[in-house]
Amino acid sequence: MIVCVAVVGHQNNPLYIQSFTEADDALKLHHIVHCSLDVIDERVNNPKKSGSTLNETFLGLLYPTENYKVYGYLTNTKVKFIVVTTDLDVRDADVRNFFRKFHVAYVDAVSNPFHVPGKKITSRTFAERVSTIVKSFGLSSAG
Amino acid sequence: MAPVGPRSGDAIFASVERVNAELFTLTYGAIVRQLLTDLEEVEEVNKQLDQMGYNIGIRLVDEFLAKSNVSRCIDFKETADVIAKVGFKMFLGVTASVSNWDADGTCCSIILEDNPLVDFVELPDTCQGLYYCNVLSGVIRGALEMVSMKTEVTWVRDMLRGDDAFELQVKLLKQVPEEYPYKDDE
Repeated sequence: MIVCVAVVGHQNNPLYIQSFTEADDALKLHHIVHCSLDVIDERVNNPKKSGSTLNETFLGLLYPTENYKVYGYLTNTKVKFIVVTTDLDVRDADVRNFFRKFHVAYVDAVSNPFHVPGKKITSRTFAERVSTIVKSFGLSSAG
Repeated sequence: MAPVGPRSGDAIFASVERVNAELFTLTYGAIVRQLLTDLEEVEEVNKQLDQMGYNIGIRLVDEFLAKSNVSRCIDFKETADVIAKVGFKMFLGVTASVSNWDADGTCCSIILEDNPLVDFVELPDTCQGLYYCNVLSGVIRGALEMVSMKTEVTWVRDMLRGDDAFELQVKLLKQVPEEYPYKDDE
C-alpha cells in the first residue's frame, strides 16, 4: 500500500506531497522523502558504469527502511517523483507503471496556464487523479 | 459548370491545414495569462478577450464564407445552425448544438460539450469572475456583424466554473440593412 507520494522540483523544493494513511506520522514520511533526495542526488551524480545510462527516468528502489520501501523517478527536467510504500513484495513493473501514469497526470497539471512552474501544484484535478492512481496500484498488486 | 453546393463541416475540416491542438491550447492559455498580468482586473481581461474575438470574427467570416459555400440563410435559425454545425467544426474541430429557441426565433443557445481551448485549465480562486473563453463570444458577435446582424452574445454555462457544458446565448438585436455610403441624388 502506498503511504506517500511526493513531487520535488529541480532545486529540491517540494511541489506536491500527499500522504495516504490515517496515522499521524506524516512528519516521519516527510523526513523519509527528504532523506531519499540525498540518495537520488548521489545516484545522479555518480552514475553506475553499467553502460545502460540512456533511459534514467526510473531510479528504482532508493533505500529500504524498517517498514517502508522508497522508489524514485527522475524526469528530464530534473523533477523527481518519490513514492513510499509499505508493501513487502512489490513488482518492479507495477512501480514503473505507477510512475508512468503519475508522470502523465503531472504533465497535465503543469500544462495549466495558471500554474506557476516552481510553485506548489494546487490543482484539485491532479490530487484526485493521484488518489485514483494510488488506489489502483494497491488493487493491481494484490493478486 | 454546376454550382458547388455547401460543404459539410467535416469535409472542410478535413481539407484545411491544421495545427497541433496542444500548441493551440497552450498559446491561448499564454495569451490569457499575459492579459491577466498586464491588466490585473478580471473584468478588463474579459473585455479585452471579447474585443480580440471581435477583431478575429470580422475577418474570419470571409474565410468561412469562402471555404464553406453556404447559401444565404433564410432566417436566424438557419444562421445559428450553420454557426454551430459548420463554423465551429471547421475552426475548432468540435460540433456544437443549438437549443433553447425563444418564441420570436431571435434568441438561442449554442452548446459546446467539448472545447479545445480549455484543456488542462483550472481557474485559480483569484480569477473566479474570468470568462476564459470570452474570445468565442467576440468571434460570433464580430462575424455576425459583418453580415448585417447585430447580436449580443453572453455566457450562460461555463465548465471552468463547475457547469457540465459551455453554453453561449446568442440574441439577435436587429438586422441592419446594407446602406449605400453615397446618397443617390448626388
